[in-house]
Amino acid sequence: MTETTMGATGSPEALPALVPDAQKDLADKPKDAQQVFGRGFSLALVIAAVIAAAGLVLWGVQLTQGLVLSNMRNLTSWGFYITNFMFLVGLSAGGLIISSAPKVFGIKGFGGIAKIAIWTSVCATVLAIAFVVVDLGQPLRLWELFAYSNLSSPLMWDIIVLTVYLIVSVVYLWATLRTEAGKGSPLALRALSVIALIAAILVHSVTAWIFGLQIGHDLWYTALLAPWFVSSALVCGLALVLVVVMGLKKAGYLVLAQENIIKMVKLLGIFVMVDLYFFGCDLLTAGFPGAEGAAVVAMLTTGALAPFFWIELVSCAAVAIIAFVPSLRTNTLVVIASALAILAIFCKRVQLLVGGFQLPNIDLAGPATGPGLTDMGAATQAMGGAMVYFPSPLEFGLTLGVFGLGALMLLAGLRFLPLKPVDKD
Amino acid sequence: MRMGMAIDLARCVGCQTCAISCKQANNTPSGNWWNRVLTVGGQEMDTGALAEDFRDSTLSYLPFACQHCENPACVRVCPVGATYKREEDGVVFQDYDKCIGCRMCMAACPYTGVRSFNWEDPQFYRDFPLGDAGVPTHQKHTVEKCTFCSHRLAAGEEPACMVLCPLRARYWGDLDDPASEVCRQIASREHKQLLPERGTRPAVYYLM
Repeated sequence: MTETTMGATGSPEALPALVPDAQKDLADKPKDAQQVFGRGFSLALVIAAVIAAAGLVLWGVQLTQGLVLSNMRNLTSWGFYITNFMFLVGLSAGGLIISSAPKVFGIKGFGGIAKIAIWTSVCATVLAIAFVVVDLGQPLRLWELFAYSNLSSPLMWDIIVLTVYLIVSVVYLWATLRTEAGKGSPLALRALSVIALIAAILVHSVTAWIFGLQIGHDLWYTALLAPWFVSSALVCGLALVLVVVMGLKKAGYLVLAQENIIKMVKLLGIFVMVDLYFFGCDLLTAGFPGAEGAAVVAMLTTGALAPFFWIELVSCAAVAIIAFVPSLRTNTLVVIASALAILAIFCKRVQLLVGGFQLPNIDLAGPATGPGLTDMGAATQAMGGAMVYFPSPLEFGLTLGVFGLGALMLLAGLRFLPLKPVDKD
Repeated sequence: MRMGMAIDLARCVGCQTCAISCKQANNTPSGNWWNRVLTVGGQEMDTGALAEDFRDSTLSYLPFACQHCENPACVRVCPVGATYKREEDGVVFQDYDKCIGCRMCMAACPYTGVRSFNWEDPQFYRDFPLGDAGVPTHQKHTVEKCTFCSHRLAAGEEPACMVLCPLRARYWGDLDDPASEVCRQIASREHKQLLPERGTRPAVYYLM
């Protein structure tokens, strides 16, 4: 793969971009590599590598001293890692959907940002897998997944689909680069984009089913969860691509016509509305009968998870306003809207994960039960909060480390892979 | 054959003896309780359901452990089959050597807190192991839970929680055999199962 990509950089199409242009053209032509990848870029690369290495050390600490260093306990058996896992699968699926969908339906894309979108989604997939691995108690037994696969487990489906999805994304990126270099067949690329689109939708549906098929938790058990996960993925995946593209535009890595940005922002607005619509449907279905689901609605709107609920709602509203009012679509506000969209979906993930454990089915006092079982649960309650779980410093540190790995991958990809839009695209 | 248990709630006085005998027989690590006696109502395990008028207050208990469901949510979701239902007696079993520590079973089980995870190297209150011979060694970062004392069943004995109950509130036997003690109790008494709406069909019955 490396040889191919190096070849593409040296191909005739890519060459003009590397030749410095006259000063007057600088504004609407991408800068050359020296200008974009200056000292600041190298510094960022080094910092990301250091954070990733620190994360690796923290993982070692967690494995030797035990997951007791996390704030997960028997009644809240998943925490920040799995929250981030859900979140990153979303980021990844969204990126791949918006890069492959235009190709599949033969409509105009977003000005050649497809390769960058695929790369962000490859990075996010690797991080999602990393979060599952750091959450595992026995990572050395991972091989059992392939030796003793229990095909009735949604977690097993997810592991299979994630693996396939990662391979498909990498192949799709490689094929896109080859086709641009004039080597591959456009038809094969289009067929591959269909596979990539299906895989992206599937990967997030299956991730939803890890939760949505569990009849044991009122918050999770809903048929809406899979489509809702896909809509959330579209929101945060597109938002991530927008943030990256706007950043690269500012850095002079690429040039993107304003109409493409506006097209993406409008789409972001639509995705946010769909996501909110699903949320509304779910809340109504849960709350209307006034049965068990009413406790779920109360928990989200006024209970323990209300801060996350309202941050999500207000952020989504702000995104919609910026997206739908033409005069507000300035570069700064577009970046703010994208950041808010990512924040909103993260809050949704927190609600889903912590909320699932917040309402125990058997809520009776006894030995080793109740919030006493989670140290941090007791601590947050003492401070006036009501969540049964809050991450520990180690969980924050290790999570930061995994994101450091993601930043490293993203930056290294931009530096060493020919992801820049090509004129004819 | 499908082994099951009936627990007489009218007899249970919440003495926690079954919880302790379980802990001893299985040598469970500090902080892990496979079998617990929960107090109905109230904030603490020593306060019952207090009413405005003290004469209306009640104190009742719910002995609570793995329900060994006929349709176990945990078995369905375990990616490597480390938790499985034994064909010969319907006991839901956990294989510590196989468990990858993903805790999917804990998320899937509707019965809050019956599964425990060893969040660190198992610690014990004593320097020497308690527990019966044949109890599997507890492992760090694996999930464990009540096995209906499988090691005792293998020796032809009843689960440890049955034996020490001072009020004889527990009945044991084959749910498929109408002549068994447990079936006769279920047939003759008003009874309930926990969370029937979740469709798990537990092997533990509560006599009212």
